Amino acid sequence: MASHPDVNQTPEALSDYRYKTGTNRIGLWLFLVSDTFVFAGLLVSRYYLFGGERPELNQLLGLVITTMLLMSSFFMNRAETAIAIGDTKTFFRGTLITIILGALFLIGVVGVEWQIVPFTPGENAMASVFFTMTGFHAFHVLTGLVFLLIVYRNARKGLYSAERHWPVEAAAVYWHFVDVVWVFYYPALYLIGVPLS
Amino acid sequence: MDEKRKDILKEAYRVGAAVFILLMVLTIGEFFIGSIAFTWSWPLWGISILKAVMIIRDYMHLPRLFSGEEEAR
Repeated sequence: MASHPDVNQTPEALSDYRYKTGTNRIGLWLFLVSDTFVFAGLLVSRYYLFGGERPELNQLLGLVITTMLLMSSFFMNRAETAIAIGDTKTFFRGTLITIILGALFLIGVVGVEWQIVPFTPGENAMASVFFTMTGFHAFHVLTGLVFLLIVYRNARKGLYSAERHWPVEAAAVYWHFVDVVWVFYYPALYLIGVPLS
Repeated sequence: MDEKRKDILKEAYRVGAAVFILLMVLTIGEFFIGSIAFTWSWPLWGISILKAVMIIRDYMHLPRLFSGEEEAR
């Protein structure tokens, strides 16, 4: 792509790229919808097993990691907007901040929350569901980070432009999807229900 | 960067920042509702749905799906 810029910038090539982007976009959203069913299934399990109760978790930590994820979405949106108009400097900065915030979120969940919760994964059904929900989500964050690192590396090679940046859009949409899932998981795990000690 | 592009960028950043501020306000509100009335599940679900709608519409750009780019050629 980068070695033949003139060939790829012709009206025919750009029209073809837009066509492919349109179909790719539908494919990505179909995947996200199917993934939603898995996350929704886990959310339903939480209500089936906990009911009006919830595990005793660190409330402040929950708020801090949620804030980090929301901030990462903000910076990812800035990065995507920037590449769409060819502002690579803002794109690199936004993507890098997103990666750092995503990594901090992951550390907050797996490195801190998992270590301080007063139960173990095999202790009871509630504990299992808690670790499955947060673990499955954390795995998506991890894959999102890998995706973002690949996009960042490819952008450094000059593979994306204002006209051709579908991988950036795909990485951004996936990242925001992970954020949407947490928007529902955060109250379900940290806020709703009587805390069990 | 020409003036038109600068304006587009400025507008997109403004929307992104406004959505982020709203998301943060709702999250902090959610935190306090959860702290004082943890049995109020419906208001908390309402806030979650509102937040999700904003992210899906303004950050994930759901309307792009219906822009019909695949029919453009």
